[in-house]
Amino acid sequence: MTTTYDYSRSQQLFQRAVKVIPCGVPGHMSPGVNVPAADYPIFTEKAKGATFYDLDGNRFIDYMCAYGPMVLGYNNPLVDNAATEQLKSADLTMGASPKMVELAELLVEMVPVADWAFFAKNGGDVTNYATMIARTATNRKKIVMIQGGYHGVAPWMQPPGHHGLIEEDYSHIIRVPWNDVDAFQQAVDQYPGEIAGFIATPYHVATFYDNELPEAGYWPGIEMICRKNGIVLILDDIRHGFRLDMGGSCEYFGFKPDLICFCKALANGFPISALVGRESLKLDAAKIFYTGSYWNQAVPMAAAIACLTELKRLDAPAVMLENGKKLFTAMQTMAAGYGYDLKVTGAWSMPNIRIANDDTNMLHQQWCAECTKRGVFLASHHNLFMSLAHDEEVISQTLEIVDEAFNALDGGQA
Amino acid sequence: MNHEQIKALLNMNAVMKNLEELVLLDSQVAEQVKELDFAIEFSTLFGPKCSVEFKAGQCRVRPGKHHRPRIRLLCFSPAHFNRVMEGKSNPVPVKGIKFLKFLSTEFPKITDRLEFYLKPDNARLADPDYLRINTRFTLNTAVNAVKLLALHDTLGKFNRAHIPNGTVEFRVLPEGPSAVLSFDGDTVEVLDQPCARPSAVLLFKDEQTANDLLNGNSDAFAALATGDVMMKGRIPMIEAINLILDRIPLYLS
Ligand SMILES: Cc1ncc(COP(=O)(O)O)c(C=O)c1O
Repeated sequence: MTTTYDYSRSQQLFQRAVKVIPCGVPGHMSPGVNVPAADYPIFTEKAKGATFYDLDGNRFIDYMCAYGPMVLGYNNPLVDNAATEQLKSADLTMGASPKMVELAELLVEMVPVADWAFFAKNGGDVTNYATMIARTATNRKKIVMIQGGYHGVAPWMQPPGHHGLIEEDYSHIIRVPWNDVDAFQQAVDQYPGEIAGFIATPYHVATFYDNELPEAGYWPGIEMICRKNGIVLILDDIRHGFRLDMGGSCEYFGFKPDLICFCKALANGFPISALVGRESLKLDAAKIFYTGSYWNQAVPMAAAIACLTELKRLDAPAVMLENGKKLFTAMQTMAAGYGYDLKVTGAWSMPNIRIANDDTNMLHQQWCAECTKRGVFLASHHNLFMSLAHDEEVISQTLEIVDEAFNALDGGQA
Repeated sequence: MNHEQIKALLNMNAVMKNLEELVLLDSQVAEQVKELDFAIEFSTLFGPKCSVEFKAGQCRVRPGKHHRPRIRLLCFSPAHFNRVMEGKSNPVPVKGIKFLKFLSTEFPKITDRLEFYLKPDNARLADPDYLRINTRFTLNTAVNAVKLLALHDTLGKFNRAHIPNGTVEFRVLPEGPSAVLSFDGDTVEVLDQPCARPSAVLLFKDEQTANDLLNGNSDAFAALATGDVMMKGRIPMIEAINLILDRIPLYLS
């Protein structure tokens, strides 16, 4: 039986962090989102493949993959070499990088919907840009999004009631429930000729809740309403992109958006995001002045080219879907042996899992914490991520540790 | 409801509500009220009413009219009532004029004690007894205010809409005060009793931690990270309540 981890060094550094940084570690890497936070590491020392080591030397098999960017394994030599080689010649200079053109050509070739590509840094840069293009193209104000949908942190994307927002930030945002074509139609009827764009993820991944795949007819229904009413259909593929289909997750679900936002798995952790779109929106995209100090960095572009090429060569989405299925069905069987109902929702390559025996989720939180402090990092309220580094050996190690965690649960009896 | 009306509601049912425990926790006040047996009604034109009833050493603060108040105090507007609460104005006695002496000398002593416990400073907080009572009152005020804001404040209502039905327990360790908020459809209640199986729990390591956080003097995320504050269960309930808690200072500062 493995002993559970100690996090004293992480905690000590956190005490320093909190003196000079709001929240200590702000944003989605904040330890405050883990339950209980004391059972989770805070600072990483090094990483390789599917694993990372924290400041206390504890080793974790990572099922969050840095919230998705890691897709080939940490410190993947192919991607890192491409980046290092580029760094030796030039990164950010007073000229655009030829890599930008190469990367755009690669995306246009790979993604059926794409006739052009545009690059930024974070996911939110391109979801925001997509709505600006929709507004320019339609000369309309309103954007429809899904209740509980996440597209980044610009004020319009955040739910009303959160700090730093004013009413005007979301006065042209309409939120409709997921998997509800009628609700979208109603919004269109209520605001005829006023809706510029519809933005959603390929399937619904609201934090804290089970993930929801699109019902049959959902995407075709949404697509039809958009076409009929001249509404720009925006796919936020930032989280799902390249874990379902290399051509964009719309290919997996069988529909054709006008714009697709990519980010996380694009460059295996190097900072870059992309918006790709149809020819019909290229002129509108060109009219908008939209840029940032580092958006022309060549290193992440070189990394993205290497990453996408490798993902494609390995048929990565299919492999991650298959390995995820093996791992999580085995985990479900194991859970059942202990008397637990492990509910898996979403796609196998990035599933949401939850012990469903207890509706308060306390049991599930306890189990995720037991796994984490034994070396399998599981967030309790976010979908997990597979990567290509989560191979058979890693999966076997995972199952061993997960078994111990089930054993450690209060109520766990076979 | 406008800002002053909501503020008056909070002043009555979250701030004055602490009189119920003040009479039990403060020996001077306990001594003062032990013989009292009557109710005072506070009413505001175009605003809420409440009553403060003393009986057998106990006190009850209830929303709405009282069936037989001995004293009735009138404010001409919610804003007037709120100024009274800040000590900047006086209500008009419209019933029980003969108890003017109680109103002018006795009652202010009680409300001064309440104010004393509700207005901490570093020197006062250094006293463990003070810390204990201030923490208890701050927690009471917070949960009662959350209830009212979830029902009446625009953003409070918005956040409330995202809170699933269930109960949230706030508990100060090791043996500090606790409180339970219950959400069920359109009703939000502060429960008197602990609840056997809360849907979510927010635990404070000790009174100082609870005090700092509830008085807005510490960073909740950092406190969660260090384990000084712990949460478990249905986290969206706690997150939404947190956003409502953050609105309290807009009304009560
Ligand atoms: C679906 C989705 N959209 C947008 C974003 C925002 O991306 P970023 O944090 O890089 O701005 C995220 C990030 O998690 C996401 O998951």
